Amino acid sequence: MENFTNKTIDIKQLPKFEEVVFTALHTKYFRVVLINLGIVIGLFILAPMVLSVINPELFSGRVWLILGMVIPILLIFIVSFSIIGFRKKGFAFREHDVLYRYGVIATNTIVIPYNRVQHVALHEGFMSRFFGLAKIEIFTAGGSSSDIAIPGIAKEEAENIKQLLMGKIQKQL
Amino acid sequence: MEDDFNQPQRQSPIGVLVMFVDTLQLWARGLWPVLLVYIVKFKDLNTIYLGLGIVSFLIIIAFVAYLKYLNFKFYLDDKNEEFVINEGIINKKSTIIQLDRIQQVDINQSLIQRIIGVYELNVDTAGSAKKEGRIRAISHTLALNLKARLLEGNAVNEKEISEEATVHNSINQNQPFVKISFLSLLKVGITTNYVKTLGLVLAFIMTIFDNVKRIIPEYEVDDEQLENFVDSQSTIQYVGFVFLILIFLILIINLIRVVFKYFDYKVTRHKDSLLLSFGLLSTKSTIVKPEKVQIVTVTRNYFQKKFDILEIKIKQATSSDTDIKKAIIEIPGCNEKEKIAIFKLLFHIMPEKGIVLKPNYRKLVFSIFLFIILPVGLFFIFAFYLDPTLLTYSYVLPFYIVFIGLVLCFGFLNNRLYINDNFIIKQSGAWDIDNAIIETSKIQGVTTSQLFWHKRVDIGCIIIHTAGGDLAFQLGNFTVIKQYVNQWLYEIETSDSNWM
Repeated sequence: MENFTNKTIDIKQLPKFEEVVFTALHTKYFRVVLINLGIVIGLFILAPMVLSVINPELFSGRVWLILGMVIPILLIFIVSFSIIGFRKKGFAFREHDVLYRYGVIATNTIVIPYNRVQHVALHEGFMSRFFGLAKIEIFTAGGSSSDIAIPGIAKEEAENIKQLLMGKIQKQL
Repeated sequence: MEDDFNQPQRQSPIGVLVMFVDTLQLWARGLWPVLLVYIVKFKDLNTIYLGLGIVSFLIIIAFVAYLKYLNFKFYLDDKNEEFVINEGIINKKSTIIQLDRIQQVDINQSLIQRIIGVYELNVDTAGSAKKEGRIRAISHTLALNLKARLLEGNAVNEKEISEEATVHNSINQNQPFVKISFLSLLKVGITTNYVKTLGLVLAFIMTIFDNVKRIIPEYEVDDEQLENFVDSQSTIQYVGFVFLILIFLILIINLIRVVFKYFDYKVTRHKDSLLLSFGLLSTKSTIVKPEKVQIVTVTRNYFQKKFDILEIKIKQATSSDTDIKKAIIEIPGCNEKEKIAIFKLLFHIMPEKGIVLKPNYRKLVFSIFLFIILPVGLFFIFAFYLDPTLLTYSYVLPFYIVFIGLVLCFGFLNNRLYINDNFIIKQSGAWDIDNAIIETSKIQGVTTSQLFWHKRVDIGCIIIHTAGGDLAFQLGNFTVIKQYVNQWLYEIETSDSNWM
C-alpha cells in the first residue's frame, strides 16, 4: 500500500512509439531476398521458353513481343519492391511491447503489447537456415491481421528474443 | 444436483428420431443423383421393387441411426476439467474440450427437435472454425444443467454446488429485461436490409422466369407479346408499376424474414451474462459473457431513428477469421432505453463520444476516383474499343453516378472516429449508420499506416486489432492518432485488465 501512488500522467510525456529507433533486418537476409528474386526472375524467363519448346505454335510473334515488354517491366517492379521492402523493414523490442515496421508505398507500423501475445514461434525457412537466419512469429488473439512475422534475424538472436518474449508472457499470466 | 455428468451417458432415447432424420438428410444429399434417376423413370419402374427399395433403405438408415445413438456418449471429466464426447460407429471419434477453453454454449431447437421435444447443445471454443461439441438431442432441463456446468467450469472449484442449483432456477425466475415486441419487429422488417432483399427478390424472379421459359418453349412467342405490351403502355407508368410491386415484395419478404428469425426475442440477465432467445420455428438461445464481448455495433438509419428502434450487433472473441461472421449476435429493434440497459450490463458505464477525428477530404476524392471515375472510364474504353453496342446502355450512367455519388458523400460525412478515455467509437455508413464501439482495454494491437505522399499533410490510417475483428479509420490527423496510440499502449501495458 505504501508504494501506491496515483499521479496525473502527462500524455505529452508518454514514450512515443513513432520515435523508436528500428533495428534493420540482418544483412545476410538481403542475400536470401536476392536469391529468392533470382528464382522468380529465372521462372519468369524459363517458363515461356519451356512452353515454346513443348508447343512451338503456342506463341505467335506478337505474343512474344508483348511478353518481351511486360515481363521486364514486371520484373523491374518486383526487384525494386523487394529491395526497397527489405530496406524499410525494421523491428524494435521495447520494455512492454514489440514494434514492426514494413511497407513500400505505405509505411505501416504495428505495435503489440507483450501482455496481449498468445504465443511465439520460431520459423526457419530452407534458404534462411542455410544462412543461419530465422523468422520470429508473434501471435495474438486478434486473428491473422494482428500477427507479426519478423524475418531475417540471426538464429541465436532469434532464440534469445523468443526466450525474452516467453519470459514476458509468463510474467503477465 | 440430480444430474451426474461424470458418468458417460447417451442422449435422450427419443433422440434416435433426430439421428434418423439427420442420417436420412445426409444420405439423401449423397444419393440425390440416384433419386433423380428414380423420379424420372418413375413410370417404368415396378412399384413392388420400388416399395421394397424404399423400405429397405429406410430400415438401413434406422439401423445406422440407432448405432449412432448407441455409440454417442458424453461426460464431464471433473479431475481433468474436460468435457468428453465419444462418437462414431466404425471410425471412432473422441472430442475432448477443456472446460476453461469453452467460449460459448448454445441451446438450439430445430423443427424436428421441437416436434419431439428435445434440444440441441453446441459447445464452441476459440480454437477452430466449426462447432466442436454437438449433442443432438437432450431434454431441456438436462441441457440447462449441462450448460451451467460447462460455463462454470472455470470457477467450479471455488463455488459451492448449491449455488449452481440456484443458477438455473434463477433463469426461470428472472424476468427478461428486454423483450422485443411484435410491433418492433414489424418496424424492423420495414426499415432494414432493402438491398439484400432486393437481391433475393431479383434472383428469385430470374429463376422463375428462366424455369418457365424452359418448361414452356412457346413462351418465346410470349416474350415478343410482352414487349409489344410494354411498348403500348406508356413507359413511365410501366416502370412505376414494376417499381411499386418491387417495393411491396421487398417489404413483405423483409417482414416475414424478420418475424421468422426474431420472433419472441428475449434478453434475460443470467448472473453477469446475457441470455438471448429468439425464433419462430426453431428457437435459438445463446449466452453472451460481457468479458468476451469485443466489438459492439449500433446500427440505425433515418427511418429507424424516427421509429425509435436500433439494432445492436455484438462480436465476441474468436481466433479464426472465418468464424467471425458466425460469432456475431444480433439484437434487432431495441429502443433507446433497452439499449442503455444492455450497455450497462456489457460495459458497466455508458460509452460516450469523446473527441472527434474527421477524415481528410482526400478520402472522398479517392473514393470518387475509385468508384465513379474508374468504372465510368473503363465503360467508355470498352464501349469505344471493343463493343460499341454497350453505348446503348449509357443512359444508366447518370443514375449510377448520382446514386454512388450520394452514397460516397454521405458515407464521407458520417465517417468519424470518437475517442474518449475508455472507449473508441467509429461511425460509418451512408444510409445505415453504424457506430462500432470498442473498449480500449480490448485492444490486441495497433497498426498505423501512412502513404509516403501523405507525410507532408500529416494524415494517415489506423487499424485497431481486437479478438473480434479490426476497426480501421482512414486519413485522420496523424499527430493526434499517434498521440492516442501512445496513450492506449500506456494504458494496456500498465494494467492487467483482462481482454477476455
